[in-house]
Amino acid sequence: MFTLPVLSQIVLNGITLSAIYILVALGFTLIFGVMRIINFAHGEFAMLGGFALLFLYSALNLNFFVALLLATLAVGAGSLVLEKFVYRRFYQREMPGMIASLGLSIALIYGSVVLWGTHQRSIPSAFSGIYKMGPVFITAERIAVIGVCVASLLLFYVVLKYTRMGLAMRVIAQDRATAEAQGIDTTSIYRYAFFISTAMAALAGGLIGQLFSLSPFMGHMPLVKAFIVVILGGLGSIPGAAVGGLILGLGESFVSTFYGASAAQFISFGLIIVILLFRPEGLLGRKEG
Amino acid sequence: MSMQSIRDGAVSRPRSPVRWALAAALAAFLLVYPFLFRGFLTHIGTLVLLTVIGATGFHLILRIGLVSLGHAAFAGVGGYTSVLLMMNYGLPWIVCFIAGGVSAALMALLVGPVVLRLKGVYFVLITFTFGEIVRLVFTDWQSLTGGANGISRIPPPWPALLDTTNYYYLAFVAAAATVAFSYRLLASDFGRKMDAIRESESLAEANGIPVFAVKVAVFAIGCTLAGLQGSLQAHFIRLISPVSYSFQESLNFLVMNVVGGTHSLAGPIVGAVFLVALPESLRGWVEYQFMIYGIILIVVMATLPGGLVELWQNVVRRIGSKISRGDR
Repeated sequence: MFTLPVLSQIVLNGITLSAIYILVALGFTLIFGVMRIINFAHGEFAMLGGFALLFLYSALNLNFFVALLLATLAVGAGSLVLEKFVYRRFYQREMPGMIASLGLSIALIYGSVVLWGTHQRSIPSAFSGIYKMGPVFITAERIAVIGVCVASLLLFYVVLKYTRMGLAMRVIAQDRATAEAQGIDTTSIYRYAFFISTAMAALAGGLIGQLFSLSPFMGHMPLVKAFIVVILGGLGSIPGAAVGGLILGLGESFVSTFYGASAAQFISFGLIIVILLFRPEGLLGRKEG
Repeated sequence: MSMQSIRDGAVSRPRSPVRWALAAALAAFLLVYPFLFRGFLTHIGTLVLLTVIGATGFHLILRIGLVSLGHAAFAGVGGYTSVLLMMNYGLPWIVCFIAGGVSAALMALLVGPVVLRLKGVYFVLITFTFGEIVRLVFTDWQSLTGGANGISRIPPPWPALLDTTNYYYLAFVAAAATVAFSYRLLASDFGRKMDAIRESESLAEANGIPVFAVKVAVFAIGCTLAGLQGSLQAHFIRLISPVSYSFQESLNFLVMNVVGGTHSLAGPIVGAVFLVALPESLRGWVEYQFMIYGIILIVVMATLPGGLVELWQNVVRRIGSKISRGDR
């Protein structure tokens, strides 16, 4: 049972899951860290990304990567309209913001039902190759998914770590009043952070659509995963989201292979309770002031 | 926040006869409601009254400054306990109903001392997680709970209650008792302690209030109400499944309280009417029903941060100032 081919297959599946979870969770934690909003509509941006990719790729027959990029940018840009009319009113107000984003989530889900119906769809597979690396079989699809995730995570890291905009975001997350006193234009930084967050969710949604299936209700799964990852790693912590995503993805892949999917869920929730009790700020988070 | 809540805490100080007159008028209206609106509207009215019970329980927990996203799980424990006792052992309904409340209370007393060690957003997260675990148990313990399909053909408390109008009055009595109990509780010495804990735990502790014990007690009371609602609702809808007690349902309790208003007991009542009745009243536009509902939620939050109760207070204040101006 614990042979090398099986184990390496499990690790590979786990890394694919982790990559997607991290993409979703990073955007979620960024919005919380910078704007103090628990964005319940985060999963719906993933859903919209999936449908945008479906349209661009299957209906317009664009190259898969071009379609994925356009879908990501389109959802990110479209979300700025919602930022202007909805989110901006609720920044730094946790409770009303939470409820409003919940309202938005409901509106987006049922708006999509009106547009696209409730049935499951799938994005036709863009890749057909299967490679054999030593004992491990890997499909071209997974290579593409992992590649896209790693590339965008690197880009995210660089933006956050080495640009003035990223620096501004980190300052706002740490202390907003000081950031404003230093002349940082919080309004425009919020807009950038929001764009990055929803675009990453949309990207993840496209990849979920490619690996699994699409429906207006698919946003629930990424949202719950983002929740778990973020609790594991610590609310508002960027490295925490990466570590949390890896633990959740690998752990889920391992446990569900040997003990079934519901055991994996039980263990992940049990783990969270333990972490919250003994280290409520998460594995890599900092204590709330 | 603190000034605001002291002022709006006025509900715990019955001052004006107007308030009593309003309450009496409301009770009279609710008593004749099934005769004014028959059939489906009586069904909705019953659902609203049942929801008020759980929402009030949520409100009590909120009054000590805590948001529990596992509230529906306690309704589920109450619902499943009551239904299983009745269907497997044929116990009389009143025993099952009480057992529903007691099981939720026991669960709360077991979990409370652990989860209440956390505060603020971490309490929200741990109760969310707890709720998910309970939902998984409902789904996976197939031999007992019927798994994802749940349990159907649940018998009513007694045959006469198959009639919706009769059930409406049972729900009315239960909801009225809940609201009266909570009103007394909030107005009592114990309610003062709750307010003190919400405003500042360390200050409350320094004044000799056993903060942790009060928190556990309030959590248990709130969850008991959820369990009682779970039992009553299960025998009314006559179908339960894990979906009935999902995360969404817990969120609904929060939405009711925030939309209604978090500072007074009227909040969860107004919120329950809004949240249960609004989607139903939008049925004319079936396709757009939930879309409109979501948008209304956003608009309410954007324009009335204090909830619908605030709208009412504003109206009262404006009328009041107009009257006094007229006097001059």
